[in-house]
Amino acid sequence: MSEILIWIVKIAVIYGGLVGTAAAMSLAERKVSAWMQYRIGPNRVGPFGLLQPIADGIKFIFKEELVPDGANKLLFRLAPAMAAFPAMLTIAVIPFGPTVTIAGHEVNLSIADLDIGILFVLAVGGLSIYGVILGGWASNSKYSLLGSLRASAQMISYELSMILAILAVVVLTGSLDLQQIVASQATIGQWNVFHQPLAFVLFVIATFAETNRHPFDFAECEPELVAGFHTEYSSMRFALFFLGEYCAMTVMACLTVTLFLGGYSVPFAPEAHWAIGVLAFAVKTAFFLFLFLWVRWTLPRLRFDQLMRLGWKVMLPLALVNILVTGIAVSLGVELW
Amino acid sequence: MIVKREELTFAERLYLPEIFRGMSITFAKLFKKKITRQYPEQPLPTNEVTRGQPRLVVKDDDNIACVSCGLCEAACPAYAITIDGHETSRFIEREPERFEIDFLRCILCGFCEEACPKDAIFMSDELELADYDRQSLVWGIDQLKRPKASLQKRIDYVYSLNDRWRKPSSTS
Repeated sequence: MSEILIWIVKIAVIYGGLVGTAAAMSLAERKVSAWMQYRIGPNRVGPFGLLQPIADGIKFIFKEELVPDGANKLLFRLAPAMAAFPAMLTIAVIPFGPTVTIAGHEVNLSIADLDIGILFVLAVGGLSIYGVILGGWASNSKYSLLGSLRASAQMISYELSMILAILAVVVLTGSLDLQQIVASQATIGQWNVFHQPLAFVLFVIATFAETNRHPFDFAECEPELVAGFHTEYSSMRFALFFLGEYCAMTVMACLTVTLFLGGYSVPFAPEAHWAIGVLAFAVKTAFFLFLFLWVRWTLPRLRFDQLMRLGWKVMLPLALVNILVTGIAVSLGVELW
Repeated sequence: MIVKREELTFAERLYLPEIFRGMSITFAKLFKKKITRQYPEQPLPTNEVTRGQPRLVVKDDDNIACVSCGLCEAACPAYAITIDGHETSRFIEREPERFEIDFLRCILCGFCEEACPKDAIFMSDELELADYDRQSLVWGIDQLKRPKASLQKRIDYVYSLNDRWRKPSSTS
């Protein structure tokens, strides 16, 4: 019985945290963009505009919902959910802390501690493309279709380099289990970012492309495609797309921290209490979430051919070379860095 | 015309150093002074040159100077002013029975101020114009009345402007 209770509490806390982070990110995005442009940003709802996400949510719920004539009604309604759920599913395997003892109960600080966590993340994360492509296709609009076409081409191209970058980490650790990958980076010297700097850079770039963020936001592409795949969406379905995007960003940030920055390990204090570890995890994730915003308001969008060139002619060969070198080094038992 | 395109150096072609340079610039901007004006709380500064909505000046004897001559009505390019006059026992003999300015039509050009021979109408520094229906933006005499003191700076300014033309030494 207590087992089930622990599960329910864990799920509630982690999903609440995920959706809460997504809501906070919608405010943070506007605040950071404002600050970077000498503006103040939303400050009318609540102190410092902190209640803005709630106001936005209420607004979205009360907005009229339009389904365009000629749209495929079923897929049109299904697509936002398809966009949001993969991100929410992948958070399940992220370890937020080690197995700890709370009030006499052994608690594993991840919802599902899979042996093949990485594989699960990639498999389910790959589904997120369906939300974009179904939304674009079902809208029966040229802009939407173009946006989703570009997005799907981009996500498939970059998924490849992302997987190869992750593979280098997996080769180094010898495990697909996220808990073990974190455990192998207990001290700051063991963090994968120092052992696999190239893979780290490739992975971070690929996460931007995977989550359709600037400078790779070809799915939306405001000046060219109105709003890309969600041009025809309104009301809460539109909000779901956004929720999905922010959840995907959060998950990607968590994954980057887990794979390359030692997850919940506290730098210079490997014996720290697990709560501090969870806090360290949150701080590292927050940095990568900020990085998403920071890059978005700094870089212009790439041209589509530049994007494809970067994906196929730069990132993929680099990732392959990285895998090769890592593989040789590991099989020969040589420490690379 | 031949446009010479500059070849990118290797460091530029790598992109990452330039990206970090750009990011350091945007990060520095985060802490700069914000230039947003919080409008309703911090209104725009106005002065006597500001041409806001026209108002009727209430003189020291609590009357307005308007004799309902209709010159402002005629001068108004947007047909925003409507005047109906009637007789009065005051010395000026005629005063407006109805003096209405439709602020949805008014374009704040200031022609009424220039046209007025009795210095009865002046542009104020009041600029805010929002309401829930059209009819409530058609203002009558009572809404347009403003004490002379509140418009004194504008009145002095207009007099000083017109003095340039009144001076005998002035050319043309």
